[in-house]
Amino acid sequence: MRSSALGVFLLLCLTSTFASAASVSWRALSPAQREALAPLVQQWDTLPEIQRTRLLETARHYPHLTHEQKERFHNRLAKWSKLTPEQRDAAREKYRAFNKIPADKREQVKQMVREQEARKAAAASGVPAIPQSR
Amino acid sequence: MTTDLDPGKIAQLLTLSTQQLDQSTLSALHNARQSALNRQAVRAPAFAFITDRGTLSLIPNSIQQWVFAGLLIVMLVIGTSYWQHVQEQQISDIDVAILTDDLPIEVFVD
Repeated sequence: MRSSALGVFLLLCLTSTFASAASVSWRALSPAQREALAPLVQQWDTLPEIQRTRLLETARHYPHLTHEQKERFHNRLAKWSKLTPEQRDAAREKYRAFNKIPADKREQVKQMVREQEARKAAAASGVPAIPQSR
Repeated sequence: MTTDLDPGKIAQLLTLSTQQLDQSTLSALHNARQSALNRQAVRAPAFAFITDRGTLSLIPNSIQQWVFAGLLIVMLVIGTSYWQHVQEQQISDIDVAILTDDLPIEVFVD
């Protein structure tokens, strides 16, 4: 009797620990959360529970971002949420690895990417790219 | 009168005495031993460690042990929840960093 009660108690504890947050529909979000997650308005209610929980956690940072960061956040959010969980995990690993390399090397990579982006933009608009020096 | 007996001598005398017991006494002693062993087997807990110091039951059998077990479970649950929370916060920090970094998201996504 006592051992079965102990088993039930343990099960309840573990269930409550590992259970994800209760399902939150778009309508139940706060105005601040809706503003942060605005690009996901159409797909929010179809997203898996764990993804919604993580996005809500991410949205908590939104009010503290700069205007430029907020713009990037919104521009990338839809694409980010469409990735598979494995792709997101791989991206996190890459980001962690990238942040471990020395700052000067990181800056070199960033510079290369900026130049590449500028070339792409120039090719798209037909105007020759001006080399950046940062 | 005192006679010094060494342990070896005592054991020898006891063995000799046992050999002198009649068959009915030996049978009664054997039965008593068997029933004592059976009773001990019934009392042995289902979940227990057998050590050289005795049997260590895994099911609490006193209030103090139940309180200790309860505290242990609560600490386990709190520890697991905290660990999970820290993990989720780290993931969320990286997600925000990827989503706001000056490098495009494609750099990190295959």
